[in-house]
Amino acid sequence: MSVIDFVRRANQPGQPEDSVQLRRACLATVAVAIAACASLGEIAWTTALGAMVLMAAGTAFSHATRARPPWWVKVIVALGATGACVWFFHTVSSPTDGITSVLNPLTILLVTVLVVHSFHVPSRRDLLFTLGASAGLMAVGGALAIELRFGLYVAAWACCTLWALTEMWTSASGGGRISAASLVLALVATSTVAAAVFLVLPAPVVSSRVSFVSRAGNGGSIGVPGGLAGDSGGAAQLSRAGTPAGRTRVGGYLGFAGSLNTALRGGLGNTLVMQVRAQRPSYWVGETFDTWDGQSWTESKPVPRRPLRQSSPFVLPIPVGDVPFGQSDLQTFYVESPTADLVFHAESAGELWFPAGKVYVAHDGTIVSPLGLGTGSIYTVDSQVSAATPAQLRASGSPFAFPADVPQQAEQLPRAYPRALALARAVTAHDTTTYDKVQSLIHWIGAHTHYSENIPPLPAGADTVDEFLFGNRVGFCEQISTSLAVMLRSLGIPAREAVGYVPGGYDPITDLYQVHADDAHAWVQVWFPGYGWQNFDPTAAVPLSPPSPGSTALHDVGAAVRRIPPVPVVASVAIGGLVAVLVRWRRRRPATWAERVARAVERAGRRAGRPRRPAETFAEYAARLDELSGPAASNWGRLAASVEASAYGGHDPPPPAQRALVDEARRTRVQVPVGAGTRD
Amino acid sequence: MVASVLIVLLWWLIAHNAGSGWVQLLGDLVFGALLVGVLGPGLVVTRARIRLRSAPGDGVAGLPVSLRVDCSSRVRVRPVAPPGPDMFVGPRSRGGTLEELVVLVPTHRGVHASVTLDVASAAPFALQWWTRRVHLSLPSPLHVAPRCGGAQPPPRRPEDGTGDSVEQPRVEAGFPRGARPYVPGDARRLVHWRSTAHTGRLMVREVEQPAAESVTVTVELPTDPEAAEHVAEGALGSVVHLLQSGAPVLLCTREEAGPVVEPVTDRRSAGRRLARAVAGGVPEGGARA
Repeated sequence: MSVIDFVRRANQPGQPEDSVQLRRACLATVAVAIAACASLGEIAWTTALGAMVLMAAGTAFSHATRARPPWWVKVIVALGATGACVWFFHTVSSPTDGITSVLNPLTILLVTVLVVHSFHVPSRRDLLFTLGASAGLMAVGGALAIELRFGLYVAAWACCTLWALTEMWTSASGGGRISAASLVLALVATSTVAAAVFLVLPAPVVSSRVSFVSRAGNGGSIGVPGGLAGDSGGAAQLSRAGTPAGRTRVGGYLGFAGSLNTALRGGLGNTLVMQVRAQRPSYWVGETFDTWDGQSWTESKPVPRRPLRQSSPFVLPIPVGDVPFGQSDLQTFYVESPTADLVFHAESAGELWFPAGKVYVAHDGTIVSPLGLGTGSIYTVDSQVSAATPAQLRASGSPFAFPADVPQQAEQLPRAYPRALALARAVTAHDTTTYDKVQSLIHWIGAHTHYSENIPPLPAGADTVDEFLFGNRVGFCEQISTSLAVMLRSLGIPAREAVGYVPGGYDPITDLYQVHADDAHAWVQVWFPGYGWQNFDPTAAVPLSPPSPGSTALHDVGAAVRRIPPVPVVASVAIGGLVAVLVRWRRRRPATWAERVARAVERAGRRAGRPRRPAETFAEYAARLDELSGPAASNWGRLAASVEASAYGGHDPPPPAQRALVDEARRTRVQVPVGAGTRD
Repeated sequence: MVASVLIVLLWWLIAHNAGSGWVQLLGDLVFGALLVGVLGPGLVVTRARIRLRSAPGDGVAGLPVSLRVDCSSRVRVRPVAPPGPDMFVGPRSRGGTLEELVVLVPTHRGVHASVTLDVASAAPFALQWWTRRVHLSLPSPLHVAPRCGGAQPPPRRPEDGTGDSVEQPRVEAGFPRGARPYVPGDARRLVHWRSTAHTGRLMVREVEQPAAESVTVTVELPTDPEAAEHVAEGALGSVVHLLQSGAPVLLCTREEAGPVVEPVTDRRSAGRRLARAVAGGVPEGGARA
């Protein structure tokens, strides 16, 4: 077939579609998709409602003119679709805001095409196009959806699509209806295939250069240039280090300030702080501290007051001491509740798409927003994530030969820690490389200390490291990581404290890491020549490999199943089984006395080795049993006569006589004479 | 099917690289629906059981012949040999009626011991049609007679000098020849009232009697099927015309087993003979069709 033939064949008008139900189902599918986009703010609700009304009118018009669609409708549809496409390509030819500048016009394009096309849908093939376009519209919505609530629209759309597809078969088969069992089977098969594919496929990656999203939330501007604002007092109030008197701040973390007091952690709550779309899990770094005073960490060089003024994306300077080494990793942060105005990122941030004209960047790579990061804020960071292997780190040069740009502050200690030094030397006595020493100390901490947040604040003036290492050895992440950093520094290894968030739980549906307030964390960064600052965490075992949605979903399902108490489940299953058996028994029970008699007679015959033959009438069978029992016996024949009189003549004896006949049939046994054989 | 695979691959490629879990999940759902829609009909067609309930033994080329079938599920049936139009058979819904009619429209004469059907389904989503060829044995062979062509005049005998070479036009059997007096046993419908009034006696019509001499029609079919069909149509037309005129007809044909020379008494028997006839010569014995 030539191309011309193919095009000609593809453009041949199809048979007019007469099914009103199919058109309704397709209309419902599109309406759900439009509503889904409207719920995400891609189009206004008024626009969505207008589009739905026009779609309904167009569908009715198409149905009315399905046999002979007016030619001018074709012209209008073609012109409308072409115009919408031209407008779309003109709009997206110079995207400025990343994917949002593409998705929003794409939504409008699809809605416009669907509305215009609805006036010329004469055949089933056109309705199939409508279904496909609705899937595209849902995909556009899904590209920006970050909440599980979108699943309601997905479920509604799937139901409407299933309805439309089954109506399509009904129409195509001349009125054949899919039975409920077949429908359930198709639904189960579709869900199973989708679930299997979902389990097998790897997680989506954020490698596309169009996924750069940034949007200002509802946070106000920060009054102090470069100041760190927390969530408790609004954007204008700067964050303060925590104190024993004010240790509870839901959703905030005491360390997201100018200093980190390791004497207390505070109750953080479980508020969802932000969701992160990233290629791989990582520590979301907020800021680092290099100066230790025995109880608090501070930064020797605070955030400068001169901002970095650029248009998005910001090209960020390489932090001091860092090495641009590793893999590029894109992260998009969706702020769900007000948090500190720190711009979190994975390791070393290189580029930043941010909804402001300036940001403040400290020499250690800490990025501070000029805006309060309120709910709805979105920004994207392109980071360099270290891919150094343990072997590479072991083989790296001596950490004692610092280059000039590595701050000597990284090995500063406020005083000598003789006991910590002795302990560190003892633990790392057999290690020759920095990496092995770090690992040995981490293993020792894991084996000899305990993590707990339920400990009283340290008294003023107490040294956190001495209290933790040589006290009861119970502490939280800030104390544990500080102890590691101090031991490393006492060995002469440059280390610093980093605060931020652990990756959070991975949602396999939305492909987002959900970061809660209590995911705030502190860990240690150790400097390696040639590789820069590397993360080491003596507290949490954070998986840093990309998760698989399938394995995550299976793990979540398994955990949910394990949480189900076994006794009620077993009892429910047992009760259900018992009910099913009872229902089946009742359904199989003979409905009338005549059936009970007949069944009793057949049972008696079977017990005597004389089952009823396939072509044998009941009267013949009874006569055979009588003959077997002897010439004088006529019980079976009499019973059969009563049964046949009831079954064919409608002559039922009085209820007492019925009960007597049933009892007689159940009590009587077939007397098989000796020598007559046992089997038929 | 290829388009479905391409759509899914493209969707997954976009979803995977766009970094959106929802798009990937939607793609999984679309893939599941497409897979069920593409492979489901294969399962339905494989499991569909179509049985022949009844079939006629005779048919005529170009005219519909109805077979009564029942099918376990709703399928589209396209008769292939003999051909026929598409139609849907099987229950419209669960518990619906099973028996349906399959119409064949044979285009050529012949004998069919079985019918070949293309059974197709696109259930449950009408996205892809799967077809399976089914052969149904007929309870008795279906004889498809040729169409009834125009009657051909009997050829003249060669001139032998006796004057018999010119065939006199035959008077058709049953045409009135005259009137005669009524004799007991004559049918009342033969009473000729005008003659009765004229003669004063009860008179009855006298009609031409069938000729006692049989006409032999020899059918030699050529090997070309279309030409053979045309010859058979003409032969049937002639035979039917002769039978209508009351002449006994002896039909000479060649069948698979060899030449057959047997009388035919009606159109159906003639049609069956011509349905079974094959190309080849037959013994000399009468007028050629």
